[in-house]
Amino acid sequence: MVLLEPDPFLSELHKMYERNKSGTVWITVKRTNMKPRKSKKPDPKAEYVCLIRANDGKRHVSTTVGTTHYAKFSQSLVIIMKGAMADTLKRKDKKKENK
Amino acid sequence: MYVEDFEAFYEQALGLFKARPIETRYSIKFRNSEGKLVLKVTDDRTCLKYKTDQQADLKKLERITSIFLPLMACGDLPAEGASGPEAGQQQQQQQPASGVQAGSTSKKARRRG
Repeated sequence: MVLLEPDPFLSELHKMYERNKSGTVWITVKRTNMKPRKSKKPDPKAEYVCLIRANDGKRHVSTTVGTTHYAKFSQSLVIIMKGAMADTLKRKDKKKENK
Repeated sequence: MYVEDFEAFYEQALGLFKARPIETRYSIKFRNSEGKLVLKVTDDRTCLKYKTDQQADLKKLERITSIFLPLMACGDLPAEGASGPEAGQQQQQQQPASGVQAGSTSKKARRRG
């Protein structure tokens, strides 16, 4: 599992969508308060961060987003997802609606 | 497991998160070859899923993602985008205030000494 900064994570996510036209891309979002690698026990004073993971079956990447970065990250994430999904998802059939 | 109505899925997902914020996670699965999108929210006890293949549901994806990310990052719902940066500013304002108070008490202690 590769832990990246938010911006490289977004680039990597975009590449995953580009590469995996025939496969699946998973994104998981979870809250955690554990400090990775530095302490053995979860620190009760540590602030909550949002852990975001992406995986395409082969490559696993992750990033943590705190209170300061989430707004910009959230917007970029949604733009990337919509851009990747817009072409493949079905549009509503207007002929069926008229009937 | 699969919820038909998006509003019901959204309300139940928020309920799960409020009850168990650390255990609840939100997953998005996109299968390009079939053009299917599955949203999943689980707290390891209950699993809620919403499946779609409609382009119109991308707005719903955007809405739920923009709610869950700030919830998980800050712990609070954003009030139409205003509370996120304000909460950050409030935290920044509180820190220098506490610093000023600590400085003043030490000056008082010096005067008494």
